[in-house]
Amino acid sequence: MPENSEKFLEVKNVSKSYVGVQALDKVSLSIHKGEIDCLVGENGSGKSTLIKIIAGVVQPDEGEIIINGKSFKKLHAIDSIREGIQVIYQDLSLFPNMTIAENISLNQMVERKRKIISWHEINDIAEKEISRINKELNLEEKVENISIANKQLVAICRALTQDAKLIIMDEPTTAIAKKEIDFLFSVITDLKKRGISTLFVSHKLSEVLKISEKVTVIRDGKLVGVYNTKDLNHDKLSFYMSGRKITNSAFNYQKEKLEPKKPLLEVKDLSKKGNFQDISFKVYSGEIIGITGILGSGRTELALALFGLNKPDSGNIYIDGKLANIKYPKDAIDLGLSYLPEDRLNQGLFIKKSIGNNIVVTVLKSLLSRFNLINNNNKYKSAKEWTEELNVLAPSLDTSAQSLSGGNQQRIVIAKWLATNPKIFILDGPTVGIDVASKSNIHHIIRNLANRGMGVIIISDEIQEILNNCNRLIVIKEGRMVKEMDTNEVSEDKLLEILSRKIV
Amino acid sequence: MKKDIKNFKIQRLLKQHELYLFVVIVMYSLFITYLNPNFMSLENLFDLGKSSAVMGIMAIGVFVVLLSGGIDISFTAVAISGQYIAANFLIASGIDNIMLAFLISCSVGVVLGAINGFLISKFNIPTLIATLGTSSVFHGALLTIVGTKAINSAQLPDCFKAFGSFDVFTLTKPNGVYYGLSIFVIVFIIIAILTWLILKYTMLGRGIYAIGGDINSAIRSAFNIPKIQFFIYCYVGFLAGIAGVIHISLIRYGNPTYIVGDELSVIAAVVLGGTRITGGTGTIIGTIMGVAMITILNNSLILVGLSSYWHDLFVGLIIIISVSITSYQNKMSVGNIIFRR
Repeated sequence: MPENSEKFLEVKNVSKSYVGVQALDKVSLSIHKGEIDCLVGENGSGKSTLIKIIAGVVQPDEGEIIINGKSFKKLHAIDSIREGIQVIYQDLSLFPNMTIAENISLNQMVERKRKIISWHEINDIAEKEISRINKELNLEEKVENISIANKQLVAICRALTQDAKLIIMDEPTTAIAKKEIDFLFSVITDLKKRGISTLFVSHKLSEVLKISEKVTVIRDGKLVGVYNTKDLNHDKLSFYMSGRKITNSAFNYQKEKLEPKKPLLEVKDLSKKGNFQDISFKVYSGEIIGITGILGSGRTELALALFGLNKPDSGNIYIDGKLANIKYPKDAIDLGLSYLPEDRLNQGLFIKKSIGNNIVVTVLKSLLSRFNLINNNNKYKSAKEWTEELNVLAPSLDTSAQSLSGGNQQRIVIAKWLATNPKIFILDGPTVGIDVASKSNIHHIIRNLANRGMGVIIISDEIQEILNNCNRLIVIKEGRMVKEMDTNEVSEDKLLEILSRKIV
Repeated sequence: MKKDIKNFKIQRLLKQHELYLFVVIVMYSLFITYLNPNFMSLENLFDLGKSSAVMGIMAIGVFVVLLSGGIDISFTAVAISGQYIAANFLIASGIDNIMLAFLISCSVGVVLGAINGFLISKFNIPTLIATLGTSSVFHGALLTIVGTKAINSAQLPDCFKAFGSFDVFTLTKPNGVYYGLSIFVIVFIIIAILTWLILKYTMLGRGIYAIGGDINSAIRSAFNIPKIQFFIYCYVGFLAGIAGVIHISLIRYGNPTYIVGDELSVIAAVVLGGTRITGGTGTIIGTIMGVAMITILNNSLILVGLSSYWHDLFVGLIIIISVSITSYQNKMSVGNIIFRR
């Protein structure tokens, strides 16, 4: 920790409560000039409230915020921006319909209260900022046409145009690939050289450990502690976050007990132009197969193809040895397939509907009374069974899905599919954005399913997740299978190397 | 690098809806000219310009609203209100001045637009619902308070007729008949340029694009959303006021039930011009071409001797086909829709 440099931001004993819930209880945090810090905590730990307080969007009930030596009892959004604090929210707050240049420069124009636009000025500002982060982007391209990683860089450039002294990034690495994360980290390191501090809010412990100098951990609205990153490791950090020791034992495939003779699912030479090519693998009863590859490798496209959402050009899918004709998700469901999508909020749930309705949506037909109307008693019974089975923590079945934490939401998506009694369950990013404790609980659920004879496919770019929970794994790169092996044959480092190796 | 940029520009042009629409218009025009050579005559083109001005001016207003992610269906009620109140005032007062007519009609338009803007910016009512409601209120109020009597050509103050037949320049055909370019076209062009300047070179205009692109981002960027929305609906009202006066000058007859009911075909023209109904994307040029396409279609059916009832059918088909092509292209370029985030 650079003790000798000045503190840029100091948050002292800040508390905030919302109707009856203590979101933050006397939390403190400090960031020095040019420091790269992380703020970690599980979902609902109060991270976002703390960020919003620093951004001046939410006013704390008590406590003090000192920026650059100036003390603020009440910090307003405009003060925070004027003092050089820029928050890059997860949605990035860009304008998809505008060019990169305009997205970078527009905020500055608004702030300077411009009435008339000079396109020269807009381009000059954008060009300057982009070249400062050593990136080449076509300034005239619309933001809706560029990758998420590049969007992020645009958002960073925009923050820099407004004289940012501290950039707060909320979960910046969730949707981008390894190589792009590395570039992002190099940008952040460059910013440090310019004296700009970064506060990184993240779930991904390995990244936290890699980039930060200092980590602030909060749990249940309280400060757990501030640690120098060099004194931390993965296990320690996850213990501080969750308050529990989480043991990661490897998954044990009970081949002998289940004695599978023929594969539940067999994929033969499945190809789709531009997505994936010549994919062949088998899944036996009780197995958990991991499919891994970087974002854009074709892993999700493959899963969608199995579930009837992305028609392959050629190749066959066999289920229980029989050739399956899967044209629509309905065909897949009828054949005993289930698919948990990567984007839980938009594709996995009807986010505004109740938990109960979300769970039974896949099995409505079985709930019909003899007048072909939905029998509410049956509905509640079924939904209740599943929430108990999977330990969903919710006030009632009528609560809307959006009010739950990520882990509970995911359990609901799992419940909804288990209700269909599937033989094969494909889980795409089952623990994306889910905190450590819930994560291990979801892994536990998945293992139980396999132990009962279900065939499971986990798609993930988290190597730990794949190695701990699967008995076999497949590596996909640029749409092709580059490796298939048992997980006990490979170490984490080896797998990382395979993933980063270039195809020759 | 230079070459890259050039390639990029060409690629972008090829992606643009406007280019395809332009090609369709040219091909269709050639086809009609083949059937009836009169179509491509300067006289007919001037005529087309004149008769498209009313729809064109209203379409530019609708374009601005759609750009901001909203929709306005009350603009026809606003246009007829402006027109009918202005014409009646001129008759009652005996003042025969077209500028006064514009002043009254546009003032009515701005006031009614301000009511829309107020409801939408203050109470956050969805724009479709707000303008659906005000459309009825405005038109109902006009018919009950101002009246339902039509204004025939003899009653219509002379200034309207003079304005309607005013040409900025005239040409003579070999057979001695005069024809000229109507002032309407000039008004339309000025409005198009003015709107383009506002959208491209003012903070207000970029704010309209910003709201249409992502309203939450616009809020976080400290755009004054209520102010921008208020402006948008006042501006639509203003343009509707102008369109109202031009309409009565064109047909020399005022009926308070006219114009209302045309809102969907105007919106259709704008959408045909490539403006996204979800906001944020669209161009003035596209809008003008959308209007041109629909006007040409209307005009050409008569020239080739088909009944005007075919018009609706063709307009519908053209919209569906052209928008399908653009959507399909988008789908292809992004890959499967499911991968979009």
